Amino acid sequence: MQDRVEQIVREFVARVKPEAGEVAVETPLYADGVGLDSLEAAELSAVLEDEFGTDPFQGETMPETLSDIVSFYATA
Amino acid sequence: MIEFLRRGAEAGPQRPAVVTHEQTVSYGELLAMAERAATGLAALGAERIALADHEAAPVVAMMAAAASTGVEVCLLPPDEAEQVLDLVVRFDHPVVVTDRDDLPASALPDGVRRVGLGELLATTAEVTVRELPARRPHLVLTTGTTGAPRGVRHDWGRLVRTTAHVRPAADERWLLAFGLHQFAGLQVLLHVFAAGATLVAPAPRRPREGLAAMRALAVTHASATPTYWRFLLAELRADGGPVPSLRQITLGGEAIPGPLLGELAATFPDTPVSQVYAASEFGSTGSMRDRRAGLSTAVLERGDDADVALKVVDGELWIRSRTGMVGYYGEPDVDAEEWRPTGDLVAVEDGRLVFLGRSSEIINVGGVKVHPLVVEERIGAVAGVDVARVYGRRNPMTGQIVAVEVVASAGADTTAIDAAIRAACADLPSASRPRSIRFVDEVSTTGSKIVRREAP
Repeated sequence: MQDRVEQIVREFVARVKPEAGEVAVETPLYADGVGLDSLEAAELSAVLEDEFGTDPFQGETMPETLSDIVSFYATA
Repeated sequence: MIEFLRRGAEAGPQRPAVVTHEQTVSYGELLAMAERAATGLAALGAERIALADHEAAPVVAMMAAAASTGVEVCLLPPDEAEQVLDLVVRFDHPVVVTDRDDLPASALPDGVRRVGLGELLATTAEVTVRELPARRPHLVLTTGTTGAPRGVRHDWGRLVRTTAHVRPAADERWLLAFGLHQFAGLQVLLHVFAAGATLVAPAPRRPREGLAAMRALAVTHASATPTYWRFLLAELRADGGPVPSLRQITLGGEAIPGPLLGELAATFPDTPVSQVYAASEFGSTGSMRDRRAGLSTAVLERGDDADVALKVVDGELWIRSRTGMVGYYGEPDVDAEEWRPTGDLVAVEDGRLVFLGRSSEIINVGGVKVHPLVVEERIGAVAGVDVARVYGRRNPMTGQIVAVEVVASAGADTTAIDAAIRAACADLPSASRPRSIRFVDEVSTTGSKIVRREAP
């Protein structure tokens, strides 16, 4: 599961932010990290929902890193 | 309506009035059927009936009979029994005329009477020419693409008045691609019989059967929604068969994308293409024949004498129609001189009124309003896309995002289409770009119109 989550997120980033390069699990997804804006984050949430049926952006705390997303599915 | 059938029968009782793959009903036969139905309706003693049947000839006969007797007929959509019963209750119908086995008397709500359609049409009576009553109501239900269906009250006198310009054309054979329960189907019906022409009514009314009817039943004229035409073009590409020889193509019922007009022109290079802007509530506003998307802004300058006038208020098209509805079901009559919003959002570009979408279909992406048709038009022009449906998808980050469902051409590479769609939309404002692209076998439609709401 963890490998699949990481693969989906990395493929997404490679498509929308190719300049961000390889995403480490603790790299911030926004601002000075990967640099996703709100619409790109919204798109990532839809991609994850399509793939796994739920998405970590629906919770009270927004995921900040790939590690947060992996943790969400690990505990779901 | 019955006056049209009478005129047709006098001109040539053997001339075909309604044609299906199974049978041809002549004007003489259809008039006789309508006369029997009128006698049956009068004997019934009801002021309003709901009709749940979709075989064209009996339905046309019933509508003509209703128009001649003043009995309000409401043709229900060809839905499952449960939905039909909901409509019977919602619109307080006291009588349901049907031969459907799944609508027995025992299934109807208390107090609602069931009458067999065959039984009613078999009424024995001498043919008499009746004087037309002053009030001749007709109830049309909206398709409910933007919510629950509403009842739209019309009057046959006003409806027939809209055919004053129709010239006799007995050699025309019109495809019935709309349901007769839809206002657009009613318009085709009125035009066909006012012209003394022939109605070609395949069943079911899907594009595949429509294409087959065009080829096998010598259709010359066809009026359908843009969505219907897109699917019909896809069927044509897929089966590789001959392109039907049409003398007239008409589109209406929903906004018409420019690329579709181009596709139709390429496929039917010698066929005139007409666009109709009409709705159940206000009737038809006329047609455009210049193969350009949208309406000419000349429609805004018709003046007070015109039966139908249009204006733009804050980006929305408003209308004043003297040939439109009498009113909504359960509500007072509307003032025919009153201006009312259409719900259609437009922009003025190069002397054209370009349709942006329905006000109820606007997608709110983090506070930014996105018109789905603008995006849909881009995506529809991508090679390999047969049909696209753009809608607002719920999203925890922005409220909604722009989502698209795509029906791809047979054998197309969906990965390549996905990339081409993103490239085609790359220069749109960020909020307007599709953030969710899904490939599906079919898109959600109601009455051959795309539904641009997210499924609950």
